[in-house]
Amino acid sequence: MGVTYFNKVNAQSEEELVQICTMVAGDAEYLKDFRIKLDAGDPPPVQRFPILLKKDIKYRFTVCNSKDYEGKVILQLFDNNRQLATTYIVATGKDYPYIDWVCTKTGAYHLVYSFRDGKAGLAVGLLSMVGTM
Amino acid sequence: MKKLRFIYYLSLFAILSQVITACNSCSKQGVDVTQDLYVPDSVIEVAPPQVSKAVTEQMMQNISSPVETAALIKGLKIPFNKNFLASTKQAEKFNTNFEKAFALGLYGCDLGYLNMYEKTSFVVDYISTIKRLADDIQVGQFFDFNTLKRLATNNENLDSLILISQQSFNRIDNYLAETNRSMLSAVIVAGVWVEGAYLSSRVAQISNHPRIRETIGEQKTILNFLLALLKVYDKDPSMAKLITDFENIKKIYDEVKITYEVGEPEMVEENGVLTFKQTDKQIIQMDDELYQRLIVGIQELRNNLLKL
Repeated sequence: MGVTYFNKVNAQSEEELVQICTMVAGDAEYLKDFRIKLDAGDPPPVQRFPILLKKDIKYRFTVCNSKDYEGKVILQLFDNNRQLATTYIVATGKDYPYIDWVCTKTGAYHLVYSFRDGKAGLAVGLLSMVGTM
Repeated sequence: MKKLRFIYYLSLFAILSQVITACNSCSKQGVDVTQDLYVPDSVIEVAPPQVSKAVTEQMMQNISSPVETAALIKGLKIPFNKNFLASTKQAEKFNTNFEKAFALGLYGCDLGYLNMYEKTSFVVDYISTIKRLADDIQVGQFFDFNTLKRLATNNENLDSLILISQQSFNRIDNYLAETNRSMLSAVIVAGVWVEGAYLSSRVAQISNHPRIRETIGEQKTILNFLLALLKVYDKDPSMAKLITDFENIKKIYDEVKITYEVGEPEMVEENGVLTFKQTDKQIIQMDDELYQRLIVGIQELRNNLLKL
């Protein structure tokens, strides 16, 4: 019982994750946050968000994992059906807390979030603006 | 010829079916990135884009952002001009919740412009107006007036001013969605878009910068998504009227031709920061006469909605 109480008190809320993510994003101006919560699964479940991005803006996509879950979040940016960018480079196995995206085409894009190896996870994704080109 | 046309309409039907049935992009098994938001010019000419309610609601907030519009204008070294902004005195003319939500978006855009140019002396007037409007539609608790006022009055931490302004609007949007009042969110977005397009049109009258011309032209893309969003609520008489107003400017935008050249993104890692650079090109075709009609059309739309 005591353990449950302890866990509840210390569980990271989504709001806290947003604040952490805002700090990770550094000087970039906050635009929007995305809350990601997925159960474990095979193939890995995904959470998808449609967004409009504008030409000549350098965006920053930041991801922050909850320490209460094992899953490490991956962001993939798509246009229609092409992957354009990701926070996880398979070839090197390297994870990035944020990536920058220099947009040259105003239009609709998709943010696709999943957790590596299909583990359950809680994370926040942040869209912010680094500046104009 | 008939066969070709049949295939074309069949393809169109398939695309729109996909759009309409596109689930709310919540948890899905596996990556399934369909074309539910891709609306090429050729399709737009035949039928307006139809986007599922859930998809439009999710992208609502991001359709038009005061921060991005203002940043683009400031990035071109265009000086601040207070005359571009809507007078806060006009706010008294908005009576219904629908009108107040529209005004909330409109003044929110102006607030973004003021914040971007760090004109804190005007900010308090605008956040006071926004707070009143937000209170009137029962979302005032999400607009962090006191913190914004303190930041603006003390001229401190201007990044926080932008952050808190933006987060306040995001919370309002979330709350409206949670309380089944998403239509008001859509109206707020419409207000932001109209004022952003208006600011760009005013800049277009004093600057020949090609990027401003392009900004005016590319509003076609944004307007199409915005109209798709508004049409989700077209049974509401006030919304139907707003859609009619927007359709007038859309008719002019239908003459703008936007094409794209597709390229592969470039990936560069510098100082530990991974940057992806898109190499796609958007090409906007419109002659001077059409450009001028767009500017006039946007300004008439905004001034009518602002009840000037």
